[in-house]
Amino acid sequence: MKITKYLILILFIWSCSSESGNGESVITTDDGPLTVTNPLLDFTVPANFPDATYSILQNPPTEKGFELGKKLFYDGQLASDGVVSCGFCHIQSFAFTHHTHITSHGVDGQIGTRNAQPLHNLAFMNEFTWDGAATFLDTQPIIPITSEVEMNETVSNVILKLAADDTYPTLFEEAFGSEGVSADRMFKALSQFMVMMVSANSKFDKLERGEAVTFTDQENAGRAIFDAKCASCHAGALQTDQSYRNNGLAMDPVFNDIGRERVTGLPDDNRKFKVPSLRNIEVTFPYMHDGRLATLEDVLNFYTDGMVDSPTLDEQFRRPDGTFGIDITPEEKVQLIAFLKTLTDNDFIEDRRFSEF
Amino acid sequence: MKKYFTLLVGIASLLTACNNDESNTATPDPGSLSLTFENIVNGASLSMSPTTYINNTNETYAVSELKYIISNIRLIKPDNSTYTYPVEDSYFLINEDGNKTVNLSNIPVDTYAGITFGFGVDPTQYPIESGTLNFIPFAEEAGMLWTWSAGYKFLKFEGVYSSATAPDDETTFVYHVGSHGANLDNYKEITLSFGEFQIASENTISQTIQFDVAKIFDSIYTLSLEEKNDVQVDPINAPKIAENVSTAFSILE
Repeated sequence: MKITKYLILILFIWSCSSESGNGESVITTDDGPLTVTNPLLDFTVPANFPDATYSILQNPPTEKGFELGKKLFYDGQLASDGVVSCGFCHIQSFAFTHHTHITSHGVDGQIGTRNAQPLHNLAFMNEFTWDGAATFLDTQPIIPITSEVEMNETVSNVILKLAADDTYPTLFEEAFGSEGVSADRMFKALSQFMVMMVSANSKFDKLERGEAVTFTDQENAGRAIFDAKCASCHAGALQTDQSYRNNGLAMDPVFNDIGRERVTGLPDDNRKFKVPSLRNIEVTFPYMHDGRLATLEDVLNFYTDGMVDSPTLDEQFRRPDGTFGIDITPEEKVQLIAFLKTLTDNDFIEDRRFSEF
Repeated sequence: MKKYFTLLVGIASLLTACNNDESNTATPDPGSLSLTFENIVNGASLSMSPTTYINNTNETYAVSELKYIISNIRLIKPDNSTYTYPVEDSYFLINEDGNKTVNLSNIPVDTYAGITFGFGVDPTQYPIESGTLNFIPFAEEAGMLWTWSAGYKFLKFEGVYSSATAPDDETTFVYHVGSHGANLDNYKEITLSFGEFQIASENTISQTIQFDVAKIFDSIYTLSLEEKNDVQVDPINAPKIAENVSTAFSILE
């Protein structure tokens, strides 16, 4: 039982830790000392999931840490204009994407170059963002906070703002058991919130776990096609092998986005982007790193008829005769889309724990 | 869940053995070590632009900015055992135009004969474990964070140069070396030997480590600015610079 393993491991951390996570702490308020109860949250790896990549032991989510992280996530103070919070581009009802925009907007109406990725199951990811520019969840928020076209702020200034705020110093103290607003604690709290965002209750998951659901004939047919033609990259319970690949999108003339090459500097990584999880794909439109495809039909039509060749095009798309693409009939497309919709997790999308209000 | 929680609290309260215990009076009060990084060229302290130097490729260069990150300091004793300075306090920025001294306090009284330190930030360690999250605002203010990536510039070295063939033609150069995601690790560890020295209670010992700026260009590899004057995310040249840097530190005896 995975939960037992985690709790036992957390126990070892606790016994040597001088900070928080230990249930209760006494903080100072204007009315004197106040005992704060801050229980550990239950982070459970779903039975059909791989092990978490995030080191829960180093930053075990607590009730107060999670609440602080959530407040930070929805707080425009993290941006230079006081408006564009993390939640501005990561909207829960669209599995934390910014679906009304092709590429996402930042402060002063500036337009970013990429489509905001959904946020779920981040505790199971090896790297973050479309090109893997962040190797740890705890440091990922540096990118949107400091990007000029996103939140256009500095981490230093965010900390100053939070420290001068009426409520944050108390919330930090409640979450971490002692006084102090720091970058370390801010990133930890954001991670505690994001790590808890586990989406594992789609029809697909329930079937995987042998729960009482059945696929329709069409969903079953779609799954067979998916397993044969898509699952080599969109692999496993997370529907991604977490690799970076060039899937044959024509170079966008506006952004000229070189993809993974920006991170590695390697020409071999030109135009490669992270294989996205397909979880909640029904609600995370538009699609692709720059949101150029509006519907799932568009995506499948792209794979059958819209791909363009380039030196780094993934070999899996190449046919022996020199052409490239995926062979999917119109009927199979309908079936595939039926299957893809079984990946929607309404429990997650409607989970009040993660919602702004 | 509640059952586990109760169990945990119960067991955790028994495990007091590894809590911090500062009541051990047998250990003498610790001392301090003040490490100054002196940037040099040709054996003399570096002078910033407009002072010029010549590299092995006969390029004349002047330095306008020189910063680097030092981390993960361990002191080596004569028997080769080590004292590891607390990792969360072990990140330092050396800035030719600012602070060049690293003050290490609470060092156990002992005899030491060497030091190991990191150039940059070890990208394989979890940021929480390595304590770098609180270094982020500082690195950011010093311009040592990439803006598009959640990583550090280990070295920021900028200036102007002119080649032997066109001595009046001044061009800027930019060397920014860091790690490239999880793909390329330019973090280096450097070990240097001192003459034996004693850290004494409530005393500060000063040592100077020299950083030979010329070796950025000319050491294991010879780098020409004319060939490449803008090295940022460069999987060919950034590792060469990092290797050269790893040879550039020495102890001033």
